[in-house]
Amino acid sequence: MFNDVRVAIARRDIASLSREKTIVLALLIQLFIAAFSSFLVVGLTSLYDPGSVQSDQLTFGVSGEAREELDRAGQAAEVNTEIYPSQEAALEAFQEGEVVGVLHSVKTGPTISVTATVPKSSVQSTVTVVQVREVLEEMERDERTRRSAYLSTQPVPLPPEANASPYFGFTYTILLPLLLFLPPFISGSVTVDALTEEIERGTLELLRVAPVSLTDVVDGKALGMAVLAPIQAVLWIGLLSINGIAVSNVLALVALVSAISLVVVVLGTVLALSLGQRRQAQLLYSIVALGLFGAAALLPEHPATVVAKLAVGSETQVTTLTVVGLAGLAVVLYAVTRRYVGRIDPERYS
Amino acid sequence: MRPRKLLRIARWEVTKNAGGIDRKTAAIVGVTLLLFGAVAPLVVAQGGVAIDQGIYRVGIDEESPLYPVVEDDQTFAIHEPDATLGDEIDVRVSSTNAVSSGTQKGEAALSELRSSVTAYNDRIMRGEANQSAAFPVSVTLNYVERNVQIGVGGNGDGGAGDGTGDGTGDGTGDGGTGDGSAGGGGTGDGSAGGGGIGGGFPSFTGSSGTTGSPSDIAPPFPFESLVLAFLFVLPLNFVIQAYGSTMLSERINRRGELMLVSPVTRGDIIGGKTLPYFAGAMVFEGLITAGVFYLAPDPGTGIYSILAIVPLVLLFLSATFLGAMFARSFKELTFVTVAITVSLTTYAFVPAIFTEVTPIALISPLTIVVRDIQGASISLTAFGFSTLPPLLAATVFYGLGAGLYREEDMFTQRAIPLKVLDAFAGRVKRKRSVMLVSIIVIPFVFLAEMIGVAMLFAVPEAVSIPAILLIVVVIEEVAKSLHVYAGYAHNRWDNALATAVIVGSLSGLGFFLGEKFFLLVQLLPADLPEIEQAALASGGTVPDVSPLIIGALLLAPLLLHVVTASASAVGMRKGRRGYIVGLAAAVAIHFAYNYTVVILFVQ
Repeated sequence: MFNDVRVAIARRDIASLSREKTIVLALLIQLFIAAFSSFLVVGLTSLYDPGSVQSDQLTFGVSGEAREELDRAGQAAEVNTEIYPSQEAALEAFQEGEVVGVLHSVKTGPTISVTATVPKSSVQSTVTVVQVREVLEEMERDERTRRSAYLSTQPVPLPPEANASPYFGFTYTILLPLLLFLPPFISGSVTVDALTEEIERGTLELLRVAPVSLTDVVDGKALGMAVLAPIQAVLWIGLLSINGIAVSNVLALVALVSAISLVVVVLGTVLALSLGQRRQAQLLYSIVALGLFGAAALLPEHPATVVAKLAVGSETQVTTLTVVGLAGLAVVLYAVTRRYVGRIDPERYS
Repeated sequence: MRPRKLLRIARWEVTKNAGGIDRKTAAIVGVTLLLFGAVAPLVVAQGGVAIDQGIYRVGIDEESPLYPVVEDDQTFAIHEPDATLGDEIDVRVSSTNAVSSGTQKGEAALSELRSSVTAYNDRIMRGEANQSAAFPVSVTLNYVERNVQIGVGGNGDGGAGDGTGDGTGDGTGDGGTGDGSAGGGGTGDGSAGGGGIGGGFPSFTGSSGTTGSPSDIAPPFPFESLVLAFLFVLPLNFVIQAYGSTMLSERINRRGELMLVSPVTRGDIIGGKTLPYFAGAMVFEGLITAGVFYLAPDPGTGIYSILAIVPLVLLFLSATFLGAMFARSFKELTFVTVAITVSLTTYAFVPAIFTEVTPIALISPLTIVVRDIQGASISLTAFGFSTLPPLLAATVFYGLGAGLYREEDMFTQRAIPLKVLDAFAGRVKRKRSVMLVSIIVIPFVFLAEMIGVAMLFAVPEAVSIPAILLIVVVIEEVAKSLHVYAGYAHNRWDNALATAVIVGSLSGLGFFLGEKFFLLVQLLPADLPEIEQAALASGGTVPDVSPLIIGALLLAPLLLHVVTASASAVGMRKGRRGYIVGLAAAVAIHFAYNYTVVILFVQ
């Protein structure tokens, strides 16, 4: 289907990217985003889940009428506790830095009121609060079991604690979709540039003098950009694998990325050719592309979900159908666009 | 710069847009937005986008008490309980017993199931008639200022490794910064807890004395700041798209030539072309601010927010302007724009996440916005601290870009690094202007260093201190030498050793003066965390030492900057490779100095 002219145009476009070293910039940007979002997650997880960082064991002071229960709950939650005879004594220890927080309990009627005192200094209070919650949730479960006679439905028993990486979900549901969708988005944007640049500089005229049709030109430019995104996707998947993150269904993922890049490249092509100026085309492109990404939620499975499920190895029939459907849609859209391009009078740009 | 001409150019920029082909664009934009606006409720109605939908497969039969839990949580896909563990399912639940496949995924699935069960239990318990049996424990959370000194005390307590030793429980995960602010509160009278920067916690749990069940308590997390950051930064990205295009299109086919030969100044052209975009962006941001403040429960006045947004908008526009002056083609501009978007969003966004956590957050103007929305007090120092650097950086960007806004630079195609040198060379005409440029780049250096500090926030202190020192040193050395190198690349000075030493010394002197001036302006308070103080080690004075040493400490940085800048300058005489060698030497010297200072005085 592709004769030499189109491949030559595609090669020329890609070559100009590498000559201007913009492709290096693009990869750097993606690397930065990946590093940055990982940083965010590592930072936030360590704030949230004290177990994920090797912090020293925190000790809580417990006091009041239910101190025995608190102490038991602390042991169950694997948090150090120390019993104090009174709240005053515990608070004194808190002020002296011997304990990181104080849990004082008062039995008021059937319930236990706990007053948790935690340090105000930001980061530490975050860690402390998380631990307070663990202890008290443990205690709540305990007390619920004791009062089970008064409950009409029994709480569901808790499954055992798992030794899971806190970043597992993030890697597959955020990081990977991000890395796979960013290249197509940029590809579509660059398609707009490649076409509007020829139009605005008047060099499309020169290309027309050569024995190529406008369809050939568009074919070449679209091809170059549509190929670039899947290559980057493969690169990212490879890098993740080196980092010990197993990615399943690589072929299906690459097919999905190719389909999506073809769709956005078609979008870029149509906008560039119909508007003819970068400013308008680029603006509309980003609005429409972002809007489509949001509207894709109406599909049975959002493309980002498809990526997550494929990569983690939980694909279903719907997942496969979505990939096939998107690929079909991309091909159809591209065929329609070629017909549209064939009917454009190139003279309109001069 | 005359206002009438400036306004006329601004009017052209707007009217050119409203007529002809652009009416079509406006219509399409309108229709597109309407269409997406119509789709949005549908998306929301079906529960938004759940990316983690069905990523864990659980084998469970309907008899199991856990079945409703698994059914309720869309993260799980339900399979037959007798499917192969690991291959077809990740967790098998038989009755109440859950077993994972043992792989990473299986463990993650089990852990997800565990938290899902907790949430489910709370949900069904809420429907119980006997609420005291359903929620037997109620919690009141109190945040109390502790007077205990966590570190060694004194100025910026605790360098690397210090926090872990004293047994107060602040482990490596706390990061040095947390300790720093606590220590700051301790050394002062502790009234404002770090100069009023800690602020009140926004969430329900944060305010002292609120009561709820154990699962209601959540660590203070500024979720609002995340949403806000996106809300405020997102529209700017569309504005800079259009702005970058219009600036670059002036450079295509020598279109801008007509404007350049007309009797207006460069400032008029740039100002006029920028004004509509600036005004547009401010209207956008103003509307968003108004909306947010209308919805916020207990907001401040909103004046601080608007004022704090101005530098951010200017920073976006100025960086785009400079990018459009550098770019050779539309494609390149796209990448430059994406790079600007990503890095400036990071800058605005990351610190705002830590609004509650640390004074570092103040490097982003968005922090001011967040605190204004929360109705927290904003001191003038804090306001200046977060808005001055971006404002000055924007000025520097415009200054450099304006240097390129002339016939011989606008219409030539050069690689971006060469354009950067051109931009600097436009500012370096005589030897003494080297000193001036060194002073001018200071805010930019400061900003870059602060971003570095913020990025290393979550890293353990033992790693972060050397890392931040290295980042700071590299940024400072490049800032001191790049414009000098631009002078060499444009043959502004001769090849003599003496010349190299002179321009190097001037650059170092300028940098020293700028740094000192900037420190005075910022009134660098003691409540900055210690890695930040480490960042400024070569510029900061250290109290509690004899006057003789203070004198030496004042002169030592000057000597340091002069020596290192000269080292790079001497290398530059031998071209680019020489520059790299010289720069490496300068970085090594500077790093050794800073490291010593930090080890000797900060710790």
